[in-house]
Amino acid sequence: MATEDVKATGWADQDHVPEIKSELLELNMGPQHPATHGVLRLLLETDGEIVYKVTPVMGYLHRCAEKIAEGVNYKQWVVYTDRFDYLAPMCCNHAYVTALEKLMGQEVPERGEHLRVVAAELSRIASHLVSLATFGLDMGAFTPLLYMFREREEILNLLERIAGGRMLYNYMVPGGVRYDVPDDKWIKDVLSFVDMMETKKVPEYNTLLSYNKIFIERTANVCVISPEDAFTFGCTGPVLRGSGVSFDCRRDDPYGAYPKFDFEIPVGQGQMGAVGDCWDRYFVRMLEIEQSCRLIRQALETLPDGPYQAIELKKPVKAPMGAVYSRTESAKGELGHYLIGDGGQTAFRNKVRSPSFCNLQVVTKVGVGQMVSDLVALVGSLDIVLGEIDR
Amino acid sequence: MEARAIYELLAEKIGDGALGFTEGTGDPVADVAPASIVDACTFLRDDERCDFDMMMCLSGIDWDGYDENGKGKSVSILGYTDLGEPETTERASDGDFGVAYDLYSHRLKHKFTLRVRVTREVASVPTVSGVWETANWHEREAWDLLGIRFAGHPDLRRMLLDESWVGHPLRKDYQMPSEWDAVRLSGRDYAKNPFPPIAPPETPTPPAGDKPAEG
Repeated sequence: MATEDVKATGWADQDHVPEIKSELLELNMGPQHPATHGVLRLLLETDGEIVYKVTPVMGYLHRCAEKIAEGVNYKQWVVYTDRFDYLAPMCCNHAYVTALEKLMGQEVPERGEHLRVVAAELSRIASHLVSLATFGLDMGAFTPLLYMFREREEILNLLERIAGGRMLYNYMVPGGVRYDVPDDKWIKDVLSFVDMMETKKVPEYNTLLSYNKIFIERTANVCVISPEDAFTFGCTGPVLRGSGVSFDCRRDDPYGAYPKFDFEIPVGQGQMGAVGDCWDRYFVRMLEIEQSCRLIRQALETLPDGPYQAIELKKPVKAPMGAVYSRTESAKGELGHYLIGDGGQTAFRNKVRSPSFCNLQVVTKVGVGQMVSDLVALVGSLDIVLGEIDR
Repeated sequence: MEARAIYELLAEKIGDGALGFTEGTGDPVADVAPASIVDACTFLRDDERCDFDMMMCLSGIDWDGYDENGKGKSVSILGYTDLGEPETTERASDGDFGVAYDLYSHRLKHKFTLRVRVTREVASVPTVSGVWETANWHEREAWDLLGIRFAGHPDLRRMLLDESWVGHPLRKDYQMPSEWDAVRLSGRDYAKNPFPPIAPPETPTPPAGDKPAEG
């Protein structure tokens, strides 16, 4: 309706309210937006606050690492896996070397497997801390971020002492790990850190954030993902478990030393609302931190003596002709490698199935019909990392 | 269920579409004709005994040069040799394209791998995005990086590269362009290596008189 018509009719005339034409507004969320956790662009079609269509646009961090995998040898490519999920690089290392060893038929010494578990679980805790902290930040809680990054700093210090780097480690090599435990004090420090996490820090986070009334109001019953949606969209990790499905590659498709250890798979219970809402996905991560602590303690208390590498560091590795799909549980979900060897020192094809890539697709369905501010909660609770999506 | 038993169920269903079952190094894999891939996937998802509710991964593959052990067939990713000469392939690529589907059942906890193969001229496979939603993005990625078309895909756009990009980088015969959108890529020119290799220092030859006696 034209403006003159509105004026002529007059809003005071309640019997004759003019029909207001509305049309969908295209709104760009990102690529430079604090709530998209990286350079992700969400193209929204909105009517007021309601989202009618979500189209994720990605590729701003694309490096074509899979092409690089065809140009460098197997050992050199471990470096690139660090760059996928830069918040949990140890898990990415673990996924790649597991796939390569499956193709090669390579055994790994017990000590190497235990050290891999310790490193990967420490990295998982660090990743979950960042995830919980930034999710709180998205929901308007700034203080927990400072607390959680304080503990993450401890983990980075511990990993620096064993791997030499603070962020990108290149720690695992085919057939074992690169370095042994530096000294006995390191083991003591890790154990005391794990005890401190379990007894003090996790309850502290729960008081600060998990059971905060405002936080629950913002996340409970918001953007519920049903198990059927999670299956068909290929969601894995805390997103799938938040929907109440008890699935974890560490238990259901075991690899490495995980079958030896005793741990539980936390799932979303719907404590604050419906099963599979944002709060459930958040709280599953919190519970997983405790389980990771259990795993680290068991792995270090039963740390066997002996070698930690099966292959000399300088020796190049060769993989036979054949194709494998191997998957591991990264901090974000199922991180898989489809690896084709051609008998040489270089992969013929290496496809990376990254959990964030698959988890993000669910916003195209679940995000529809939500408020824009709830979409922020959804993207935050999926815990995506763009280095892994764009590869 | 064992992969072979699943394959027998599948072969019963799709008949001539099942091309063979291979066990060897790596995962057991069932080869399926491209025309019957949608039937095969729908059957595997809906059948009670298979119940594959999740597609873990979909990988596009350029099989060019694989049968000859593959070594030295890929174009170097940098585009020039160690001596700074631009690297070109004289051999035209003629290998097939393939797509591998890795499936998983959460209820029955078993895995299965399907594989289709199409020629380079056709390079088109029916889409399975109607069977599992996650195939939608995986297929877009395979189209983007390998140039395999997925017939019937609802939204086959590029996923990771820009719409204006020319070529598909994961093809074995891909040549990186020297510029895109009037931007020189990484400042590297194909005709000239901006970082020429450093020649090893010449070792000084010792004067003849100082040469120690041999033996």
